[in-house]
Amino acid sequence: MTETTAPPPAVPVGAARRPRGAAARTGPNRPLLGTVGIVGFLVLWEAVPRLGLVSDRYLPPASRVLASLGQRATTPQFWTAVGDTLTGWALGLAIALVAAVVLGFTLGSLPRVRAFTTSTVDFLRPIPSVALIPLAVLMYGTDIRSTLLLVVYACFWLIYIQVLYGVADLDPVAEQTARSYGLGRLARIRHVLWPTTLPYLMTGVRLAAAVALILSITAQLIIGSPGIGREIAVAQSSGAVASVYALIVATGALGVVINIGVRALERRVLRWHTSVRGEATA
Amino acid sequence: MTATRTPLAALAAATALTLTTAACGGGQGADAGASGDGLTPVTVGVLPITAVAPLYLGVEQGLFEERGLDVTIETGGGGATTVPRVVSGELDFAFGNVVSLIIAREQGLPLTVVANGMTTTGDADTDYSALVVPEGSDITSPAQLQGATVAIDNLQNIGDTSVRHSVRQDGGDAADIDFVELAFPDMVGALSNGQVDAAWVVEPFLTLALREGATPVAANFVDLHPELSIATYFTGDELIASDPETVDAFTEAMNASLVYAEDNPDETARILTTFTEIDPDLIDDLRWPRFRPEIDRDALETVGELMVTDGLIDSEPDLDTFIR
Repeated sequence: MTETTAPPPAVPVGAARRPRGAAARTGPNRPLLGTVGIVGFLVLWEAVPRLGLVSDRYLPPASRVLASLGQRATTPQFWTAVGDTLTGWALGLAIALVAAVVLGFTLGSLPRVRAFTTSTVDFLRPIPSVALIPLAVLMYGTDIRSTLLLVVYACFWLIYIQVLYGVADLDPVAEQTARSYGLGRLARIRHVLWPTTLPYLMTGVRLAAAVALILSITAQLIIGSPGIGREIAVAQSSGAVASVYALIVATGALGVVINIGVRALERRVLRWHTSVRGEATA
Repeated sequence: MTATRTPLAALAAATALTLTTAACGGGQGADAGASGDGLTPVTVGVLPITAVAPLYLGVEQGLFEERGLDVTIETGGGGATTVPRVVSGELDFAFGNVVSLIIAREQGLPLTVVANGMTTTGDADTDYSALVVPEGSDITSPAQLQGATVAIDNLQNIGDTSVRHSVRQDGGDAADIDFVELAFPDMVGALSNGQVDAAWVVEPFLTLALREGATPVAANFVDLHPELSIATYFTGDELIASDPETVDAFTEAMNASLVYAEDNPDETARILTTFTEIDPDLIDDLRWPRFRPEIDRDALETVGELMVTDGLIDSEPDLDTFIR
């Protein structure tokens, strides 16, 4: 749960993560290496239980787990669970995003209010979302609102802090230029503040998207609200080990899909930004 | 300057307010009264384990609907969350083991047993739970557990109380057992890799452990009392006061479900595939408790005495108010 407690780094996207330009083109074939990596991992997973290094009762070979997943993927129950998990994820992330943007922009542009609330924020922010599980259970029982409470709480702070950093990064020269050109308050927010904050905001969203999935699954696993997490808990209490692994693989796949989606969104939203533009024209 | 900022500040305040009210609303769904088709909606909190098969079977067979109840079964959470949710009225009924309920009553929580859940078979060779040791263990009787590490699912609960009783009954020193808390699904592994010397397991993990070569050394529930009701269905006293008819209907329907489950073992086994993930090949070998409406008082008195002996509670429970 370190994601929920450690303050996220306020680094704009893309800066150090990807090699740009020539290095990227002459470098190794990434998709090929990625495929080789996955295949290697699956072979290792298949071999370890088959060679008896670990009892296959506790780690069934990859083929059996994937067969279990494939068979499960034909049942409507599985897709309902996936749908429930994604609903909790999307709804929680959306609520956190809206609340964090509205509050972040407002408080960020009111230095006094921001100073006034900093101590409270610094107290609330490190509270791990999972510590709210007893509260969630008492208030909402096992329905989706329990999941939402945990997801929103964790994601709100991640995005909110990024928005505050973004607002604070406003270039005074740009701001004053806009003023001297006679731009009104809303126009300055639209053309100066918003583009300044957007890269920070997208960093917050990217971090929150991953954390939202973690907490969505956690809530289902521990509280028993509907979704893949609850399916894992049921499989576990039935001693169905291959099913447990199959569902874990499914959550991993969900995480990959979410990550790809958020990165695509990021590139689209920030296509004008140097970090993305440099990548695209290289 | 301040004037231009006010709309934004107001927006922020409104957002905060919406979030707070949204967070406070709801939660009291169950008291909404009869639904459109004349049935009273009730929610029952259970764990997805073999012991609650009669409830699922009764719902499927319409035994609850016949008595005017529209049952929603909620799984997940376990005793730690179901007890407070029954007290708060969010769950109407729940399934819990008798020791947890006696402890909750002693703490002043307004809970009352309204129907039996499951009863031990009274026969050590067929009971659905046992104290087992791994293959090749030197331990052959409960008395030899002195100084051993024994896995149970919850400390200060029905596991350690019944295991201590079995050890004492066999002439051993129950004070010298090192109990460790492990989830039932982890026990079979802990036994085979030697993390624990013995484990108290219930189905389906008992059958899994036996397949791994484990040996039963005691049937702790049978030792405790051959007629012991291990777990029961309970409700909050508030519901009993406000809507005794619904509670009566639940008790009747639950009792009918228990009888139906006991009379139709194939149906009971089949219903497992609808709410658990137990391997069909394993289902055929599972051991079952007895499902019957009667709750044996004598057995519960024994439980109460043992709980006082072990210091779980200070005084023996008043069974007249414990069971409705």
